[in-house]
Amino acid sequence: MSWLSRLTNAFRPDRLDGELEEELRFHLEARAEEAVRGGISPQEAARQARLRLGNELHTREASRDARLLPWLESLVKDVRFGFRMLRKDTAVTAAALTSLALAIGASLAAFALVDALLLRPLPVYQPERLIQLTTLDERDPHENQTFNYPLFERCRQATHGQLDLFGMTNQFPEPVVFASSGGREEKVRLQYASGNALSSLGIRPALGRLLTPTDDLHPGAHPVAVASYNFWMRRFGGDPSVLGRWFSAGTTQFQIVGVTEKGFTGIEPGKGTDLWVPIVMVSNAADLADSDTYWFSVLGRLKPGVTPEAVRPPLQAVYANFLREQAKGFRADESRTVVDRFLRGQLHVLPAPNGPSRLRETFARPLWILAVVAGLLLLIACSNLANLFTARALAREREMALRISIGAGRGRLIRQLLVEGTLLAGAASVLAAAFAAIAAPSIVSLLSKSDGPVYLDLHPDWRMVAFLLLASTAAMLLFALLPALRASRVSPHEALKSGGKQSVRAGVLRPMLAAQIAFSFAVLFVSGLLLLSFRQLTHVDLGFDRSGLLLIDVGPVDTGHFAAMYKPAARIAALQLLDRIRELPGVRNAALLEFAFFSGSTMAENIRIPGRPPADEGVQGVPVSPGFLETMGARLLEGRSFTPSDVTSAPDQHETAGRPSAVLVNQAFARRFYPGQDPVGRRFVEARGDRDLPRDIIGVVRDVRLQSVRDPAPPTVFVPLRGLNGTLVVRADGDPWKVAPLVRRQIDSFGHWVRSGDLTLQSALVDDALLRERLLALLAAFFALAALALAGVGLYGVLSYSVVRRTKEIGIRMALGARQASVVGLVVREIVAAAGIGLAAGLILGRLLIRPVESLLYEVKPGNFWSLALPLALLLAAAALAAFRPSWRAAKVEPSVALRNE
Amino acid sequence: MARQDALQGSLPLLVLKILARRGPLHGYGIAVQIEAMSEDILRVEEGSLYPALHRMEEAGWIKAKWATTPSNRRARAYDITVAGRKQLEGELIRWRSITAAVDAVLEQA
Repeated sequence: MSWLSRLTNAFRPDRLDGELEEELRFHLEARAEEAVRGGISPQEAARQARLRLGNELHTREASRDARLLPWLESLVKDVRFGFRMLRKDTAVTAAALTSLALAIGASLAAFALVDALLLRPLPVYQPERLIQLTTLDERDPHENQTFNYPLFERCRQATHGQLDLFGMTNQFPEPVVFASSGGREEKVRLQYASGNALSSLGIRPALGRLLTPTDDLHPGAHPVAVASYNFWMRRFGGDPSVLGRWFSAGTTQFQIVGVTEKGFTGIEPGKGTDLWVPIVMVSNAADLADSDTYWFSVLGRLKPGVTPEAVRPPLQAVYANFLREQAKGFRADESRTVVDRFLRGQLHVLPAPNGPSRLRETFARPLWILAVVAGLLLLIACSNLANLFTARALAREREMALRISIGAGRGRLIRQLLVEGTLLAGAASVLAAAFAAIAAPSIVSLLSKSDGPVYLDLHPDWRMVAFLLLASTAAMLLFALLPALRASRVSPHEALKSGGKQSVRAGVLRPMLAAQIAFSFAVLFVSGLLLLSFRQLTHVDLGFDRSGLLLIDVGPVDTGHFAAMYKPAARIAALQLLDRIRELPGVRNAALLEFAFFSGSTMAENIRIPGRPPADEGVQGVPVSPGFLETMGARLLEGRSFTPSDVTSAPDQHETAGRPSAVLVNQAFARRFYPGQDPVGRRFVEARGDRDLPRDIIGVVRDVRLQSVRDPAPPTVFVPLRGLNGTLVVRADGDPWKVAPLVRRQIDSFGHWVRSGDLTLQSALVDDALLRERLLALLAAFFALAALALAGVGLYGVLSYSVVRRTKEIGIRMALGARQASVVGLVVREIVAAAGIGLAAGLILGRLLIRPVESLLYEVKPGNFWSLALPLALLLAAAALAAFRPSWRAAKVEPSVALRNE
Repeated sequence: MARQDALQGSLPLLVLKILARRGPLHGYGIAVQIEAMSEDILRVEEGSLYPALHRMEEAGWIKAKWATTPSNRRARAYDITVAGRKQLEGELIRWRSITAAVDAVLEQA
């Protein structure tokens, strides 16, 4: 016998009662028998025995309390009673359950995403010792995450012993061919990393070896690769023979020498890497000595005992030196302010326990907004349920009063109501977890760009479980505690009187209603603004026609041919290729750009206008072929566009003869550098290194947005195509995918030194640029609908209850001659004041919430008429809908029936 | 009345001693034993016997089992446990020291 038996007895009180009864009965019978043996009559013996035992009930209770946990037993009773109560009112319980499950589920999904992307540390050894180096240029508010290789090596030397620095490129999809696949090209996610990268991260090999510092020594001399565990499973089914397999990427062959341990997928949450290769194996080995090309991130692990502050001074010194060297290459007439600003650049050492992430940069703020809105939704659901519970508690006043009058304590009553609330919250949590398990991955799939799926580790960790428990407990307390406290304060004799006063206590419903309406309005307001903003963005005039354009990469078949692609002969070949493609059936026009619009690549031009001070704002440059305007659907405003001779006679990249090149400029360029003048025919100079390359403006193009949908076009110079390298843009008659195979075949058969690459649509690239806004708009729509539904349900509940409560009053009024309309008005009027306050509060709350998001909005101001009118109209509509049935019921009250029922 | 009061605090002690000496007994049997051995001076307050037995059962000093009496009836029989024996020793020592102290006061007062 122990607490265990007391525990089980609490769940089986009947069995315990039976045993106790049997034991006492035996005692009574034995006593009676003894008396009978002494000569007393059986009835008298029995009576004496009973007398002697005393208060049998008391004995039984005392024994009972000794043999079970009394508090547990009454708790179990409460739970059973709670179940019965909830089941009785199925419709109401179902509505409560769904709204709570929906709200908690949405919150949980939001939290799961926030956790996976922003909070969860990398699954590496001691992630808190990881740091990332970034640079900051005064002109650009964003931390620059990329480095050039010479600077990286210097930093590594300067902090040797204190810090293990390593470089890692972005991972990107790369076509490779495995030796055993018979020439089949497949896309893998490849990442270049320093030799000590994986070991500094604390990763161990599951098979073979990882990259080592010796793999860093000689450019091009370490053709090894390490596969990730997931890739090994997915592609090779966990076959140990993966070690030693060869594959070729471009013209280089690599051999797989190891597999990383399970659980590590890379340093970027959201992007899983398949293969790591040494950073010195990049296809363009010249990049390793080029201090002008920034192409990878630098991370590091602090050695034990070293703080980020300790390594900052030596790193900053290295960077300052580097900047001074770079400044020496500036032109003599570069403005002093520009040079000074450049030299003030800083190198930052940032803690990076959850890795670097471009995804995070883009989505951090939207996710927090998502979380806040989900929280609001939860509050709305809670106030709904609070109203519900209050109404029900008030309806059960007689039951409560009865209980109190036979001795139940107030605490007991509160506990009963809390148990009901907990049952509901518990069931809702289970449903919520299921909802979140579906919703979160679906949202993640919406985050995917056209170039690859996003992989977020969403498996439940202690943080998510804790959040779920916290959310449900908080919800339960919010919606069950207050009503329980209020309801238990009932005074028995008041309530047991027939037709007892109840209207006074119903006043608690009104603040709840106001709160509900406030939250709903805030959610609708924020969502509305996000939706309006998105709509504006999708209607922006980009300056070119993005539909029906096929994009296909064209370039040298390997790096050896790279230089040859920029020779004049290659340019002539490029024009020929374009002609051939234009002849293909289904192709209306074609052009070649060195990089496509919205592809993320840029080229900066350093220009000098004669007679003006040097410009320090960014001028964009895009090398394009003739026909580019017609193909892209951009407009020429003045002058003429490129002809083939402009391209073929343009000076070579490295030519120093100083022959002028014809260029096109856009309106922004003209406004900036030739305000009020005609730029056509004028000459300016592009400064490259110490050479001045003259440019003659032959035409002005209407502004085109090349990189960002939101930002207006910067000053842009369109220069003649430099070589057979870049993206081919094809405008098709009809579906662009139809002509894709033809175009590809044409390119591949053009010459053995040319090959085609990635294929995509221009519209897809533009869509990718709006990914974040699209996600926000979708979620905003979802939350708006949910908030409306919840508000409607809540209003319906309050109004229904109001009608039921005031049935007698309504009956009296109608008996005295009131018309149906005035009776309905009576019911509705009660909540108008609360609704009004709610709306006002909601507006203030909405304005507060939109503040951190305002920068995400596009051409929509929070004071916008529609942003206020739409939520208001929607809420009124929901209210009208919710009020319909209760008003109907109020109008249909039969005075005689109402007065008869007590 | 006074006799029963005197019994209350020492009921567990008596029960343990009886069970230690006489082996398994049901509740009625224990009550009869106490009356018999004290020559009817001590009368068990039956209302508090069973709760006391159940409390001692929970404390682990005695264990219970359903048994069939010679007259073919079901009764719950209690027996002392090892822990109960230890408790009995302690209780005896305590009882003896209290009575000795009371005696000493009565002598000297």
